[in-house]
Amino acid sequence: MFSDHNYLSRRRFLSGFASASGALATGVGSWVVRPDWANAAEGPIKVGIATDLTGPIAYAGNADANVAKMVIKEINDAGGLLGRPIELFIEDTASNESIAVGNVRKLIQRDKVDMVLGGITSSMRNAIKDPIVARGKTLYIYPQLYEGKECTPYLFCTGPTPAQQCDEFIPWLIKNGGKKFALPSANYVWPHTLNVYARKVIEANGGEVVFEEYYPLDQIDFGSTVNRIISNKVDVVFNTVIPPGVGPFFKQLYEAGFLKNGGRLACVYYDENTLNINQANEIEGLASCLDYFKALTKDDPVSARIQAAYDKDYPGKILFAAGSAATGTYRGLKLWAAAVKEAGKVDRDSVAAALDHAKIAEGPGGPAEMVPGKRHCKMKMYTAVAKGGNYEIVARSNGLVDPKEC
Amino acid sequence: MAESGLVGALGGGKTATRRKVLPIVEFLALLVAAVVPLVLQDYLTVFATRVVILALFALSFDLVWGYAGIMSFGQALFFGSAGYGVALLARDLNVTSILLVLPASLLIGLVVSLLLGGFLLLGRHPSSVIFVALGTLTGSYAADRLARGWYYLGGQNGIPSIPSMTLGSYEINEGPVYYYLALGILVVVYLLCRFLVRSQFGLALAGLRENEQRIAFFGYKAQHLKAIMFAIGGAVAGLAGGLYAFHEGFVWPNVLGVVFSTQVVLYVLFGGSGTLIGAVIGAVIIEGVSFWLSDNYRDVWPIILGVLLLLVILFRPLGLISLVLGERERVGSFGGPPKESHHGAP
Amino acid sequence: MGSAFAAGFEILSFGAIIVLVVLGLGIIASMMGIFNFAQGEFVLLGAYITYLAYSNGIPVWVGMAAAPFLVGALGFVLEGLIIRRFYAAPIVAMLGTYALGLIIRESVRGLIGGFYLSVPEPVGGSIDIGSIHVSTWRFVIIIVTTLVMIGCYLLLSRTSFGLRVRATLENPSLARTSGISTASIYGTTFAFGAALAGLAGALLVPVFSLFADLGIRFLIQGFVSVMVGGVGSFIGPVAGAAVIGTLSAALPWVMAPVAADILVFVLAIVFIKFRPQGLMSGKGV
Repeated sequence: MFSDHNYLSRRRFLSGFASASGALATGVGSWVVRPDWANAAEGPIKVGIATDLTGPIAYAGNADANVAKMVIKEINDAGGLLGRPIELFIEDTASNESIAVGNVRKLIQRDKVDMVLGGITSSMRNAIKDPIVARGKTLYIYPQLYEGKECTPYLFCTGPTPAQQCDEFIPWLIKNGGKKFALPSANYVWPHTLNVYARKVIEANGGEVVFEEYYPLDQIDFGSTVNRIISNKVDVVFNTVIPPGVGPFFKQLYEAGFLKNGGRLACVYYDENTLNINQANEIEGLASCLDYFKALTKDDPVSARIQAAYDKDYPGKILFAAGSAATGTYRGLKLWAAAVKEAGKVDRDSVAAALDHAKIAEGPGGPAEMVPGKRHCKMKMYTAVAKGGNYEIVARSNGLVDPKEC
Repeated sequence: MAESGLVGALGGGKTATRRKVLPIVEFLALLVAAVVPLVLQDYLTVFATRVVILALFALSFDLVWGYAGIMSFGQALFFGSAGYGVALLARDLNVTSILLVLPASLLIGLVVSLLLGGFLLLGRHPSSVIFVALGTLTGSYAADRLARGWYYLGGQNGIPSIPSMTLGSYEINEGPVYYYLALGILVVVYLLCRFLVRSQFGLALAGLRENEQRIAFFGYKAQHLKAIMFAIGGAVAGLAGGLYAFHEGFVWPNVLGVVFSTQVVLYVLFGGSGTLIGAVIGAVIIEGVSFWLSDNYRDVWPIILGVLLLLVILFRPLGLISLVLGERERVGSFGGPPKESHHGAP
Repeated sequence: MGSAFAAGFEILSFGAIIVLVVLGLGIIASMMGIFNFAQGEFVLLGAYITYLAYSNGIPVWVGMAAAPFLVGALGFVLEGLIIRRFYAAPIVAMLGTYALGLIIRESVRGLIGGFYLSVPEPVGGSIDIGSIHVSTWRFVIIIVTTLVMIGCYLLLSRTSFGLRVRATLENPSLARTSGISTASIYGTTFAFGAALAGLAGALLVPVFSLFADLGIRFLIQGFVSVMVGGVGSFIGPVAGAAVIGTLSAALPWVMAPVAADILVFVLAIVFIKFRPQGLMSGKGV
């Protein structure tokens, strides 16, 4: 799909032939983005992306794959890394853990990549981290906002953590919403762990958690929940229900008059992509806290540049947004590239050692820094509110926020 | 009455000697399976191991559907229960020894299927086929929902990072070692099943398939026979589940659910039920083509699979295996050849 | 008081939704003894057609009106081409419908990807009764379901067409001997069942988003409802759907949703075990 071979040397012909016959024997390897030139003696550096290209999380996975292609192309156009081109291998985890493990194995055993970046939901991360880090002995970068507590060696997280999403957000919610919180949640690890942290912050700031409930992922009828919210006069719904339930849930909440009576919706994974799940009036006033919003492009030239580059290469429905791990992917790849430059080598231990304290000055939303020894990333955080189908930034962090993990 | 054909198939008389195709097919399959790791790259051997385990799972369905006539849409219930069971053993009790986990998975599958089968099949009135089908479907669905909702079982995430199976201090990792382990187990179970369905018990089951009422009139407790076969099928499914859990390194609610259950129905339908080898072939073909096509025709493959299945049901309801196997061989031969060959005897 | 009313309305509207989905399944099962594994996918098709209309600028209600006819037509074609061959072997028929369902589901998945798409309701907003807000569209669903049920009942019991249908249901060979073309009756019945599913899907899609696996959850609830209600009559599946729908909607108010989910099915299976003929045994309307 993306191979343009401009000139053919004998070595390239032979290697091309070998891989083609290998591909015929094993099925054409998913999406391989081969750079144009291969004059480095050691061959290309191989990066693997394992993300949800199909399934309910496809809107996010495709964004991540696009960002990866964009960043890698940018690096290659500037001369590659350590004088070598980067070769990108993209595998579909299909929002299905069992398929994911099989495809990740292809990256590790067949393509022999030097690094894997990917996974969006925590369950996906949990499923693929073992084949990558333990059995595959490869570096793994996880780009999505999540519940924290992932302290596996050689696993680096470049998305926001509960501390980054709650520490300043929840006080803002109490001031701009009210003291009574409800925690309706999807029943899996991210909401469970996030709620523990959120509850701590809510209570430390004088708020009260009226109820905390967990629903099966495909639950689409929330009558009893909505009723409990209304009858308990809840001020802020701190929601961690995810698609497919979140659309019907917000709609039912709206129909019951929650917003009319002054209630506020809060959802820390809501970004530009998820705005389209409901009609604009159903989520008016919804607040989210992420490392990047498109509204930032108005006053941050770096963010504007990155957003413009993405929109030019990938116009359409797949948006560059922070709740979909796209910003984390950008950050992760840039940090990794910086680490490889510092290490001068591509083997796992050298890169991990350099990545441990890597910094980038330019990223979506601002600069980013890995916290040494913690394998998590400091970044700027922004609170935004949905108004008429678009986000408006209402609060910014003072500088980089500490992830407080591990 | 095709007596001469009957006698010939039993390996007896001088009339019509039809070559038995089934053993040839089985032998060829075994031969191919044995050399796979030597020919394929490492990660493909891992894939092949998964296929072998799924073939074992398919075998369990063939036992209950092909030989006992029970339409079980919930085989994954036993598969997944055993998978979760051994995952919990490994996570909470640090038990990973193969000598413990494989018998455990067998046992879990057996117990769960005895419970469900007992409830669905036994009782004063014989249960209709539809009720049993629905009951197994619901069992699988309910187990899926339960696992999805129960945080101790990991909820939606399942149980990740299951350590490797061990034999003493040796770790059985994925690759040729695990492949031969799985293949060995498949062969042993296959032979046991083959023996079972050719025995007197199998004869009663064959009669059950042909005409349940008549068998009951002969004094056989039809429901009991079915329940026993259901339990055996469940045990085999459980064994497959245990192998799967350690091979993949994680279990999650889908391994209990309806989609997985119906997958095995597809394998057997495609390959041909009631032949044992049909189940294995069906699993291998579907998984293999699925793997090969999923790279190229990612979106279209499931549709093609559905169409293929429909075509098989329409035109070859006995499955692909019926292309090489005659009807006689499908039903099977029982016991030994008759004492004397009477030409023209009733 | 307000909360009890809200609860009651919720339960009623959810029950109505289930009845609408199950009606078609029940009719096909009672008539032809085949459990249509593709019923969930007919619901999906109804939802998809509505979405197509919406995304192409056609008013949503037009799409909703067209959906039952289109899905019914498809059902008629499928019955003639495929299902017809399997009446002698119902089990194989069910597997055939399973394969059809798979094809439909994966085709829709190919067309919409893995996305969750939303369709606005034609009549939106809520009806305010004092402090109680009741979703207008859900109210519409209840009305439509009631009308459809009454219409079906009248069709089956008062028209000559209904007479022929009932005759075929009670005694197919006698019906054939009397000159009724059972083949075309079966075709029409299957088409009708499919059309009902299409209607259900169209009405439901504003409430639940459109996604490829929409059909599966309804399928299982549908089967259980039909068996609880009793196969062989018109009112049986409706009764079963009402019971299952009510239980499914009511139990989460008193216990954890996960437990409620499972309990409904366990209770249903146990009930069927001890009363295999279901709530309403007997054939006919």
